[in-house]
Amino acid sequence: MKMHSVIHFFVELFILFRIQISIVRYQLIWILGMATMFPVVTLLFLEFIVGDMNAEKLARIIIGNMVFSILLMGMNVLAQDISHQKFGGYFTYYSSLPIRKINFILSLLFYGILTSLPSFIIVFILGQQVYGIQLHFELLLIPVTFISIFSVVGIGVSIGFLSPNPQFTNVVSQFLLMFVTFMTPVMVNLDQLPSILQWISYLLPTTYVANALHGMLTVGWTTTTGNELFILLIFSYISYLIISKKIHWRV
Amino acid sequence: MGERIYELEHVSYCYKKAVQKANDDISFPIYKGEIIGILGPNGAGKTTLIKQMMGQLAPTSGTIKFQGQDILNDTKHLLKQVAYYSQETFALSFLKVWESLYFTGRLRGLTRNEAKCQTEGILERLDMNEYRHTLLKSLSGGQRRLIGLGTALIGHASIMILDEPTNELDPLKRKLVWEIIQEQNQKGVTIILVTHNILEAEKVVHRVAVINHGKLLAIDHVTKLKERVDQRMRLEVITQDESSLHIQEQLGVFGEIERMEDTKFRILIEKKQVASAIESIQDDRFNIRQFSLLPPSLEDVYSKIHEQKVGEWL
Repeated sequence: MKMHSVIHFFVELFILFRIQISIVRYQLIWILGMATMFPVVTLLFLEFIVGDMNAEKLARIIIGNMVFSILLMGMNVLAQDISHQKFGGYFTYYSSLPIRKINFILSLLFYGILTSLPSFIIVFILGQQVYGIQLHFELLLIPVTFISIFSVVGIGVSIGFLSPNPQFTNVVSQFLLMFVTFMTPVMVNLDQLPSILQWISYLLPTTYVANALHGMLTVGWTTTTGNELFILLIFSYISYLIISKKIHWRV
Repeated sequence: MGERIYELEHVSYCYKKAVQKANDDISFPIYKGEIIGILGPNGAGKTTLIKQMMGQLAPTSGTIKFQGQDILNDTKHLLKQVAYYSQETFALSFLKVWESLYFTGRLRGLTRNEAKCQTEGILERLDMNEYRHTLLKSLSGGQRRLIGLGTALIGHASIMILDEPTNELDPLKRKLVWEIIQEQNQKGVTIILVTHNILEAEKVVHRVAVINHGKLLAIDHVTKLKERVDQRMRLEVITQDESSLHIQEQLGVFGEIERMEDTKFRILIEKKQVASAIESIQDDRFNIRQFSLLPPSLEDVYSKIHEQKVGEWL
């Protein structure tokens, strides 16, 4: 009986995920194109203006653009997509079915991860080509990447669900995208920022995402990376708690 | 009357910042195996009531019991048994026709084979097989509505709540939908029907609840409600042209006459006068193009209820 429930749980999650993927399948190429274009253009632009830089700074720029691609798809696009679904009456359908809320939320989170991943990989490959450096790769990078994306996607889902209207979602997600990318240690090191921004940065998961990825891609797994990852798991859990507590799709 | 599936007790709902209650002290039961129509004009509070019955909104006050249990305590039990056809099918817009049915079936707990089998059956019944690989967003409004109905049909629900199922449908498709509703009812499915289409609904519903301004104005069996309106027959005549200027005076002798359109009149006639009235109007001087004789309809009941004070029909 228990086994049956477990199987049913995953079947339900898989079907909800398939529906989410089906919603975007015909626009996926355009969405990914757009999501890749911004980080790649930023990458190339920085190459034009920065001139000579050491490998450490170049790595920071590439990793910063990888985080930018996560922010764009996992937060910005996802928040707007969810807001569109919410205010377009999509949730009436889901809430009338005997499905678990956790599965509905997880399907959106996985959808966010999946759509963020391609541009993340493209920037990773292209960045090394453009700047002519070799980043470190090990298998542990895969779970680190997933947890990193998950923590950011949680913010996107929260904004999409909790916004009072689609316009608000648009403004908030655009503001956060620009602020987080350029005013927190995503493209630059923490010590290059004014102290107020440094303090704000500690409250954002992207700071730890950038640090974790930087650690993994430059020296590999260390205790520090483990700590960053632990903080990201806490961020992910908090996002999940906020989403599940605040979404009142049923009584 | 049979087993009570739903029991609404003094249900009220008020949206945030709203001045007026969307539902105001509504109480009535719904019995197993019946088709109950919930009628009312736009903004009457029908959809809010349905959303509360689906567990999507919690009543501001009052309770809704489903099979004896307050639905706030066990929404999942309710959703396993109730299939809801909403007017909003946007969630499925980017799915192919077969996918929207199949996925809904799977989410209602059907096995892969059951879902496939039922999908095929529903596509066949709705005559939508040729569109099985078409995206819902590419279908016409009426076709989308049919597939929306299909998503309510799939699964093993014992209760169906249908919100305006015949909107945007052509006459043939409407007929099909009414047939399907009756078929489902004959299989034992309880149907809760929200509709504006009073004339057509009259043929299938057993009981009617009329709502306006959030209040329940009337609830009873259709025949009992009809007994409470003017029992005179409705003789509707359409004249050839507007030249029959004196027709109103001439036909008025048979009963109370009302001009509905330029060339269309309705006369309320006592049953014993029907034969003589019909004989008379066939006289050439009336220049009648067509006429019809109708008994009191649910539409008359509906109009009458709205003319009277709240509570008079309860």
